[in-house]
Amino acid sequence: METLAFYSYKGGVGRSLFLATAARFLASLGQRMVVLDLDFEAPGQHYKLGAELSADAEGRSRGAVPYLLATAHGAASPPPLIEHMVEVPVPASSGGWLRLMPAGPAPERAYWSALKELHEQIRFDDPSGQGMMPLLDLHARIAEELKPDYLLLDARAGVTDLGGIATTVLADTVVCMSGSDGESVDGMIAVVDAIKATPRLQGQSQIRVVPVLAQAQLGTSDAETERNARLAFLGNTARIGHALLSLPHGDAQQTADRLAKAEWDASELSRLDKAYLRLFQELFPPSSERIQDLLEAGARSRSTAAP
Amino acid sequence: MNVDVLHTLVSGAIWRAEQLEEHQVGSASLAWGEVSSLEEELATVLSVSLPEGRIARRGAVRAALKARDYARAHSLAERYAADEGAPESLRAAFSSMLEDDARTLADQFHYAAKHHAVQEARELARRLKRGGAFGLAA
Repeated sequence: METLAFYSYKGGVGRSLFLATAARFLASLGQRMVVLDLDFEAPGQHYKLGAELSADAEGRSRGAVPYLLATAHGAASPPPLIEHMVEVPVPASSGGWLRLMPAGPAPERAYWSALKELHEQIRFDDPSGQGMMPLLDLHARIAEELKPDYLLLDARAGVTDLGGIATTVLADTVVCMSGSDGESVDGMIAVVDAIKATPRLQGQSQIRVVPVLAQAQLGTSDAETERNARLAFLGNTARIGHALLSLPHGDAQQTADRLAKAEWDASELSRLDKAYLRLFQELFPPSSERIQDLLEAGARSRSTAAP
Repeated sequence: MNVDVLHTLVSGAIWRAEQLEEHQVGSASLAWGEVSSLEEELATVLSVSLPEGRIARRGAVRAALKARDYARAHSLAERYAADEGAPESLRAAFSSMLEDDARTLADQFHYAAKHHAVQEARELARRLKRGGAFGLAA
């Protein structure tokens, strides 16, 4: 299992939607995908992936917060993982699957009540390890029981304990998405430095950080701001260890809807669709060839259609 | 405070902490913290060369662990082990208590324990406490 954390220093760059689109698309290519929503203060993957989360007849709700609460101080028999996950439909012919562990049934009152209780029960910085072990345990259990190809973590925007753990401890790869305004770029570079400087756990390989300049919303930046952002990243490429990738302006929801379909006409792909696909090639190398075929099919259709 | 009063207070505090624990009251860990503080007070007035002094030192560490205050348990154990005249058996008792505690945590979280030593999780938590999220405050 490879773990990818999706992080942004500032919100509103399309991080959660990009993650959900990646999960759906890779599952449609036959990959086994798990999404874990660690954005506990503003969870949204259950909306992005269309999961129904109402509490069951006994009033139990599904998700990472209820699960962590149930196992906060260890449990002789921890609840079955599957009880806290939701199966997201993917094209049947793909052979892949997608399971979501949402944060919980936000914005229901029961969710906020469970989150409050979790904060009272455990602190991630508790020196006894009682706060850190439940997270490491959940991560290890997903790998052992579900055996996915990829685990995608939605790490909350900003500088938070859980976002720090998701990116510096649990992840093999961190996708760092940034807008092009100065505060986003400066903040992101500082966080990337911190991620790279964090020692890895025993047996973990060196962390891979993939910086992405994202302008999901139209009209949020002008050419000069964008140029400055590129220059700032360019000046730090050696430290970041990876070239800057870009997502152009465009309708990200339309891209998400199109790429989630089992079949689509590659000739109709937008600039943003193609940028998503190229980014997926970078992030999920085993699927790169298939994605390249899809992109080339699009190029062929277009050249055939041209007068 | 004299030793007799402290002994009485320790006994009362232990009884209360055990009752709270038995009835699964959330504040049991706070009560064990109080036991640990009282035992620590006893340890300051009783020399490590006396059996009661060694019992108080062991009690202070054990109660800190029951309070889930690992940092305090660890620091008390280190301090008492360095006491002049502390017997080897007392040092071994501290090591054994701390190891048992780590083993309990590993048993509670056995999926994680297959890949990470409890000590590693504790180091991560300490690093987070020291440097904040992403270590940015370090």
